[in-house]
Amino acid sequence: MNNDKFLILFNVLILLIMPFITLGVIKKTKAFWSGRKGVSILQPLYDTIKLFKKDKTISSTTSWIFNFAPAVIYTTTLFAGLFTPMIKCHSIIDVAGAFIIFSYILGLGKFFALIAAMDTGSSFEGMGASREASFTTIVEPAFFIILASLTALSGNYTFAALTDLISSNGTFGILIIIMAVVSLFIMLLVECSRVPVDDPTTHLELTMIHEVMILDNSGADLALITWANGIKMVILMALISNIIIPLNLDFNLSLILFILMFPILGIIVGTIESGIARLRMSHVFEFVFVMSSFALVVASLAAVKMYGI
Amino acid sequence: MDNFFIGIFILFFSGVLTLFIKKPDFKLKFLTLGSFIALCFCSIDAVRAFVFNKQTCSISLGSIFNNINFSMDYLSAFFVIIISVMSFLGLLYANGYLKPYISKNKDLSAHCLFLPMLIASMLLVVTVQNALMFLIVWELMSLSSFFLVIFEHEKKDVIKAGIKYLVYMHVSVIFIIIAFALMSIQASSFDFAQFKDILSSDTTLANTIFITAFIGFGIKAGFFPFHNWLPDAHPAAPSHVSGIMSGVMIKTGIYGILRILSLIPHPEVQIDYFVLIISVISALYGVLYAISQHDIKRLLAYHSIENIGIIGIGIGIGMLGLTFNCTPIAILGFGGGILHILNHSIFKELLFLAAGSIYTKTHTRNIEILGGLIKTMSKTSILFLIASIAICGLPPFNGFVSEFLIYFSMLKGLTINNISTFIILVLAIAGLALVGTMAILCFTKAFSIIFLGQARSEAAKNVKEDTTISFIFPMSILGLFIILIGVFPQYVFDFMLKPISIFTGEITFDVSPIIKLMQNISTIAICLIASILVVFAIKYILKNKNEKYVTWGCGYNKPTSRMQYSASSYASPFITMLTPLFKKVADIKKPKTIFPTEAHFEMHMEDVEEAYFLKPLLKSLEKFFAKFEKIQNGNIQQYITYGLIFLALALICVVILG
Repeated sequence: MNNDKFLILFNVLILLIMPFITLGVIKKTKAFWSGRKGVSILQPLYDTIKLFKKDKTISSTTSWIFNFAPAVIYTTTLFAGLFTPMIKCHSIIDVAGAFIIFSYILGLGKFFALIAAMDTGSSFEGMGASREASFTTIVEPAFFIILASLTALSGNYTFAALTDLISSNGTFGILIIIMAVVSLFIMLLVECSRVPVDDPTTHLELTMIHEVMILDNSGADLALITWANGIKMVILMALISNIIIPLNLDFNLSLILFILMFPILGIIVGTIESGIARLRMSHVFEFVFVMSSFALVVASLAAVKMYGI
Repeated sequence: MDNFFIGIFILFFSGVLTLFIKKPDFKLKFLTLGSFIALCFCSIDAVRAFVFNKQTCSISLGSIFNNINFSMDYLSAFFVIIISVMSFLGLLYANGYLKPYISKNKDLSAHCLFLPMLIASMLLVVTVQNALMFLIVWELMSLSSFFLVIFEHEKKDVIKAGIKYLVYMHVSVIFIIIAFALMSIQASSFDFAQFKDILSSDTTLANTIFITAFIGFGIKAGFFPFHNWLPDAHPAAPSHVSGIMSGVMIKTGIYGILRILSLIPHPEVQIDYFVLIISVISALYGVLYAISQHDIKRLLAYHSIENIGIIGIGIGIGMLGLTFNCTPIAILGFGGGILHILNHSIFKELLFLAAGSIYTKTHTRNIEILGGLIKTMSKTSILFLIASIAICGLPPFNGFVSEFLIYFSMLKGLTINNISTFIILVLAIAGLALVGTMAILCFTKAFSIIFLGQARSEAAKNVKEDTTISFIFPMSILGLFIILIGVFPQYVFDFMLKPISIFTGEITFDVSPIIKLMQNISTIAICLIASILVVFAIKYILKNKNEKYVTWGCGYNKPTSRMQYSASSYASPFITMLTPLFKKVADIKKPKTIFPTEAHFEMHMEDVEEAYFLKPLLKSLEKFFAKFEKIQNGNIQQYITYGLIFLALALICVVILG
């Protein structure tokens, strides 16, 4: 089989299937730590299929925005996935300045997620939307600092800037990898609303962020949104994997490593979720700022590496 | 350039002719027709200049001015086209917007006189090549816009905002006069072309003049420490005037900066940093205060400051490219900045016009008492949504294209081998990303509080959308521009190369990689739109049963519109995080007794710069000048004595100095 075609197919499959498996692994891990047997790893997939078959209940306050938004959220996330580097740093759409287009397309999805939440006229959903919007404002600049520094270091304007940090930068590479991975991991916790930022399984509207924004969604709409959220998690995990996995490995080895990264990161997320409690809402900002400071460290390391002290 | 002057003449003339027309609505129609013809004439020359070559012309005006040169180079032609199109759309909108005022027998004579005068003076500002004449038309522009701002002069706030605007404009003109005077003394000529030799030979002089001119023009454009007139003047003016002012007039400030810059071939690196830092701060400050506003037009005015900052970032990077002799960076930076001038004038005018439509129907600018307008004003809501997405810089619309160019120029700039440039650019990238996300926060707030949910007051209920052509046509055209530039940026960027060549010199560099970038964006935008529609269609085909029910309220089934999230609570988590940057002014009446009868809470954010810098400064100035009050005591004899003392002193001076 043609290698290029295989890679494209592989990328698409990872984007479409891996979200369910990763979410399943997180659930299984949480069940393990609380001493339960837990549901099957494929349960999120069954849930989604079931949701697609279900009828919808729509709030009478809503307008066409509420109906249209799930399509935008799902498509933009999937589209951003096409830019994401997967195995051997191969992405389907590989253009210069990819990370800018990538984040702004995700931004379009977020825009619609926010206004769809506000469309219901519910104060709970407004609360969630305003929190989500506020946290994003801190996450995004940090992400740009990291990607810009790595771009400057490698001179490569595509996502390929993420990989191969050790072979070209030596010891600095290791430090940069640690810093970048930690801050991208925090970004994953914030963007995919996991503990300690947000608890996806909570049942109290007042303390929720992402889940409260989709309180009024049901049926196919809800399925699309949760699927999109899973895809977003896979995308961020793929970015982390690309930083960690060296580029010069054998193809089969890096294929196995790459696929294994998702369950491994899923187990880490699940373990964190079982180990610590959600932060108080007023302390979440402080936690998110940790990401910014790590990003600034990455930038300083890059500056030192490029210009010496 | 004959056509251009015919156009200017028709503009002035039709303004004067309206004074002799009795019926106010006929006045406006006549004016619209007149300026349509005039602006067509002006654009003919601009397009010719764009396609063929620079056009010049020289007029002799007696001994003071000698020969006054007018020229239509690529930069001027670019601005002439923007001014013509945007002003005409604004004027067309005025026909519908002013109808309620006409039925209230409001006198429109002054308005109809000064509106074409503003347009004509803006057109002259961007073409004149003579420092003295520039100051005259610049002043004409400031004064005519002042009279347009105080349209509703019976209101006290409006007059106050108008005076503030006038004062700011005159502080601005002082700096411009200083800069021009310095140059013309050295060159012993008022002609811009002569200035070029002076500025290229003496770098210290060039630096001083650039900074002075930057402050002068920056006040007009609304850069950070000089921005304070914007959030007051825009809400005071009628919507089409705010649209023209924010969309086009403040860009003449940017034009001034660009014109001075075109005279300096190699800007010093410190100047580049100065422009970059001021611009990043302006962008952040503008959007930060926009988030805290509840008055829709104030919010939009603060967003103008943000966008002027973004334009400034582009220009700053372009200057860095010139300093380090790196043409691709200069092309990308100036390209992003100049394209953002065009983009901002489109979406900002659309937003102001949409805000005007909302105001004419609900009679309020306070978004806290609006809501649910998407059901009654469906066309306006779609156009507002498009403009909101564009102003946030999100694909597939035009704002994204210019922001992408600016980001990309900064990424390229990181490779300039200079550590301070690296640090400043990394922070600028983070700043621009922060501005983008804050704009999303701000416009999801504005759009959803105005248009979504339920009506929060009687004023917002039972609104009937005005779909007459003068309302919908200008807005739809602007919406169309937004989409077209967003989807086909490669053709637009092709045109942008000409104004860019004013700064970089004849472009010998192969620009195909940049055009390739634009083509990528175009393909991505088309695919994105198509796939969103496909997914939506699939979702539609699934045809599950829909059931309508009230919004989930934790089991409470009788929600009212007052239970919805408000604009201040939406912005609250973010603003609380940045408390030190705001001055909160709260008006609280707490509920008392067991069965409270009334309670009240209102909060405003005051501009920190105004509260902690401007007001104390003005107070101390007032104190200082109060000491001279004794001199002015109303006694005529004493005034005559002053005159005598002055004459005596003057005589003595003449004698001593020979």
